[in-house]
Amino acid sequence: MRKINTIYIIDDDPITVFGIKKILGTVVQCDTLATYGNGKLALEAIQEHLTNELAIPDVIFLDINMPIMDGWQFLEEFISLPINHKVRVNIITSSIDTADVENWEHYRSRSHHLITFNNKPVKKDKLDLITKLA
Amino acid sequence: MLKDRHIRTTSYLVKQLPKATAFLNSELEVAHASDKWIDYFNFEDRNVFGRKVVDLFGAAGKAWQKTFKECLKGISSGTTVEHYTNTDQKECWFEQTIIPWYDEQENVIGVIFQIEDVTESVVHQLELDRLHLLYNAKTEIAKIGSWNYDLADQKLTWSKMTKRIHEVADDFVPNIDTSINFYKQGYSRNTISMAMEKAMREGVPWNVKLQIVTAKGNVKWVIAAGKPLFKNNILVGILGTFQDINAQVIADLKTKESERLLKTLIDALPLNVFVKDLNSNKILVNKAGCEYLGFKNPNSLIGKNDFDLYPKEIAQEFRDEDLQVMNSLEPILGKECITIKKDGSSTTLLTSKIPLVGNDGKASGLVGISLDISELKQKEEELRDLINVTSLQNKKLVNFAHIVSHNLRSHSANFSMLLDFLVNEENGEEKENITRMLVEASDNLLETLENLNEVVAINTNTNLVKKPIMLNGMVKKVTQNLSAFLKNNHAKIINDVCEKVVIPVIPAYLESILLNFVTNAIKYKEPTRNPIIHLNCSFEENYMVLVIKDNGMGIDLKKYGDKLFGMYKTFHNNKDARGIGLYISKNQIEAMGGKVTVTSKVGKGSTFKLYFNEKN
Repeated sequence: MRKINTIYIIDDDPITVFGIKKILGTVVQCDTLATYGNGKLALEAIQEHLTNELAIPDVIFLDINMPIMDGWQFLEEFISLPINHKVRVNIITSSIDTADVENWEHYRSRSHHLITFNNKPVKKDKLDLITKLA
Repeated sequence: MLKDRHIRTTSYLVKQLPKATAFLNSELEVAHASDKWIDYFNFEDRNVFGRKVVDLFGAAGKAWQKTFKECLKGISSGTTVEHYTNTDQKECWFEQTIIPWYDEQENVIGVIFQIEDVTESVVHQLELDRLHLLYNAKTEIAKIGSWNYDLADQKLTWSKMTKRIHEVADDFVPNIDTSINFYKQGYSRNTISMAMEKAMREGVPWNVKLQIVTAKGNVKWVIAAGKPLFKNNILVGILGTFQDINAQVIADLKTKESERLLKTLIDALPLNVFVKDLNSNKILVNKAGCEYLGFKNPNSLIGKNDFDLYPKEIAQEFRDEDLQVMNSLEPILGKECITIKKDGSSTTLLTSKIPLVGNDGKASGLVGISLDISELKQKEEELRDLINVTSLQNKKLVNFAHIVSHNLRSHSANFSMLLDFLVNEENGEEKENITRMLVEASDNLLETLENLNEVVAINTNTNLVKKPIMLNGMVKKVTQNLSAFLKNNHAKIINDVCEKVVIPVIPAYLESILLNFVTNAIKYKEPTRNPIIHLNCSFEENYMVLVIKDNGMGIDLKKYGDKLFGMYKTFHNNKDARGIGLYISKNQIEAMGGKVTVTSKVGKGSTFKLYFNEKN
């Protein structure tokens, strides 16, 4: 089974979180799997890890519509953090709004990280495909 | 002695002749001369007898000498008329007669030289000739003929021109009956018959414009005039003129017709048409222009200028435009301007001003055409408003469609995922767990549908009737209903809404809105202090504004401003936050024709301004 050190799930919907977690258990082996209810909580955790030179996530599952700090606001902050290695950010959303797709393209072109756009529901095959090191 | 006596007697006879006469002997010396003759030539020395004519007349005498000498031979030059210019540079005329002087035996013994001043009669004759020429020319040009009726022999004579006007041959002989029959039957013939009868009976002259039918069958307009002639108070005849004015009348009729056409056209135009002189005084205003300015009679507008009709500033603007057009000779075309009339009413005009250029190439005034497009403008504005409303609605609709699709999709995605798990799960405990989550998802979906339904209801239920509600009373009612909630949170409400304020609202909406804003202010209170909510109201343009100010935690509008009133947007770590309240309130306010704005400072509090439309 593929091994990935750290995975973050940033989503305020407990059912989605449950689902991702459940599938992840069947496709990868992971040391740390952390969940955050909004972008702000996740960003704070990453910033803290950066300061303390702790592990930075290799793969992030990111929801867009969240309270306090949504997915886009999180990305805005995240791509400017001093992270040298390439992180895979998988946007998971039920949105089919073209504005969201445009936003994704905007961030993708501005960042050295690998950012993907995925519509819900994310089935096992798909998740397997996007849970890899960037 | 006897002979001498005879000569003297003859001399004395000649002296008294009433004509200037001289008898010259064969030596061409003056033998006898009448005083008149001596006077005529005004000799310095009156004693001319025995002197030679050559000496008496000098240069002129030499010219005559030849004639005299011829005459001595018996050849008479008869009577001739000569002319000369006198010392006053006046043209003078005289008639001279030089004939042989015979004795009893018919021998030529000298010359009789008679002279008469005919200047006056020659001048008269010349004047007569000139007048005659002039008369003929005038007759020809003005086509004026004449006629004369002699009552004594009942003879009517027509001049050549009169005959030409009647288109008859030059030898045509008219009489009263035939001449009257030339007039067109009806008005013309009746008029001339009556005029003639009246002239004969009462001696009244006439001058009338009538139609004749010529010998060739052409209908012509003429001016027929007649003047009875009296001798010793007895009518002896009638003298008249006859003028062909057909060309003028036809031209006149055409001009009148064109004028009428133009006037009808200008008056019927649904445009304000006016003509101004160099001083911008109106010299023509059409019907529409009069009505526009509130005048019934166009004549009462003539001579007026814009300063009489419009407020000073606008009139000055018009005058400047007029001057520009008249000075540059360049028209102003289709200029839109807003005009305020003296009665204060405002209209939008589409005006063109075209210079009227005189024969000297300079402007003599201008023609103006303006179209009142106020109604069009208003329609345009209404249309623009409608487009704004529509595009706003459309935006809302698209937004709502996204909300619906997003929310429904997120739920259905969850269902799909959970069901997928359930099918493949073998662990009984996990199956139960998944089932529990499915139920939760289902509840969430139901709630979402209810929320969406509520929003749809607000936006579609447009026939809910607005009622005037006392704002203060509604605040009191909501405070009452929330009393337990307020007490638990140690919240204080300060109601400074003016008691008299009544606004047209949908009561249920207003109550829901107030409830939402007040509970929000408490839900998002600053934990370190007790919530205080201050409500008051003010007027702003067409709106009654309800201001709700709290001392809560505030909100970072830079970050969340555009999402604050969005659906399912929450911004605080609050378990109760559903992200639906403000969205619904906003929809309700907008459904009542109002709007909502917010100012906020993190840690200090927020102020919401609710605008209620005064109009229905």
